[in-house]
Amino acid sequence: MSIMSYNGGAVMAMRGKNCVAIASDRRFGIQAQMVTTDFEKLFPMGERLFIGLAGLATDVQTVSQRLKFRLNLYELKEGRQIKPKTFMSMVSNLLYERRFGPYYIEPVIAGLDPKTFEPFICSLDLIGCPMVTEDFVVSGTCSEQMYGMCESLWEPDLEPEDLFETISQAMLNALDRDALSGMGVVVHVIEKDKITKRSLKARMD
Amino acid sequence: MALEDVCKSRSRAKPASLLDFDVPVAECLQENPPRSGTPQNPLPFEMSHGTTTLAFTFQGGVLAAGDTRSSCSGRVSCPDAEKVKPIHSHLVATSSGTSADCTLWKRILARELRLYQLRHGRRVSTGGAAKLLWHMLLPFKGTKLCVATTLCGWDESGPAIFYVHSDGRRLRGTLFSVGSGSPYAYAVLDQAVESGMTAEEATRVAREAVYRATHRDAYSGNCVDIYLVTSTGWTRREREDLKEEYYRERKNRQGGTV
Repeated sequence: MSIMSYNGGAVMAMRGKNCVAIASDRRFGIQAQMVTTDFEKLFPMGERLFIGLAGLATDVQTVSQRLKFRLNLYELKEGRQIKPKTFMSMVSNLLYERRFGPYYIEPVIAGLDPKTFEPFICSLDLIGCPMVTEDFVVSGTCSEQMYGMCESLWEPDLEPEDLFETISQAMLNALDRDALSGMGVVVHVIEKDKITKRSLKARMD
Repeated sequence: MALEDVCKSRSRAKPASLLDFDVPVAECLQENPPRSGTPQNPLPFEMSHGTTTLAFTFQGGVLAAGDTRSSCSGRVSCPDAEKVKPIHSHLVATSSGTSADCTLWKRILARELRLYQLRHGRRVSTGGAAKLLWHMLLPFKGTKLCVATTLCGWDESGPAIFYVHSDGRRLRGTLFSVGSGSPYAYAVLDQAVESGMTAEEATRVAREAVYRATHRDAYSGNCVDIYLVTSTGWTRREREDLKEEYYRERKNRQGGTV
């Protein structure tokens, strides 16, 4: 059994017009057995910055906590919010420190620049290789299904409401084709002046 | 004549023996010895094993139920598979294990049972059908073939359920659940199933058992199929998608508020 598919999970982020959206499933399971349906995989790391972590559940929690620690120190020293691109480098550094005994997670970052409100999304592999894209990023046990859904549904310059619909449909349909992810979906849409958190009604099997 | 050739009924004085089964066993193994499924030669992809099927007797017959998710290496390859299929008018079989193995062996069994019926003018009993299936699977013991089926039927002695596994097990019982979701189904069935249940009660319990298993087990899901086998034959309940069940139950539990 692969370590990355021991707990299962799926995260994706999409870029829209002056907004970004990030979504994750809610399942925490141990191989075939589902344990809870309210497992957090999305973590706020700034006023308009979120990180989503898919992979081994223990590493999801450890990395998010250690990252928050480093981020708090940064904010205290710098006296300002971190830029998404800098945060990506911080994550990359944290993961590469464990190059030969890595954290088994594949993070996805979505946020707006604190000053210019420029949207930003990126993903990293488990040893910290960053990848910045203009459209969408996916990560998890059903990444192939998610790539297919995003590739067909996404279009540039979507308004926040349309972006929400697009990411929701992409997530729901990709999760229905994966046994190890699902049990609900959480979507955050991050705009300049507000963050909207919504839970979707999904298949609970 | 064509039919005579198929039945191989030698129209001579000697009638066909009761034990005259044309089992396709040894030849196909000799022609195609298993070449993959060994450490030196691993299988090209993981065979699917996850499922929830169950069968139990109630007053007046046998109920067989199953989910409809067919998964392969974590991916849901088919959300509307048929895991419970009729073999003949009074026999229904659930399947678990490798999908391809179950489908083909059910067909082979149905063919042999039909030929017996044509030659001898009566149906094979449920136990006899189970024994025949067991016998046909025996040469494949130790290979990667995986068939775990419950044969649920009505014969002259009444309702019967036989669990047949390709590793050689053949068990008679009144309650079985097979598959990765079976522990969850057993939890519901063990507390609710009684011998004197009516068909409606049995259907309700089976549906609940499959729903609980689909909720907890990753490899069970989508819809539920229920078949009832009585003295007049099998009837099928319309396939039901369980996606709303979680929310319906939550609403009922909270007394109307979601």
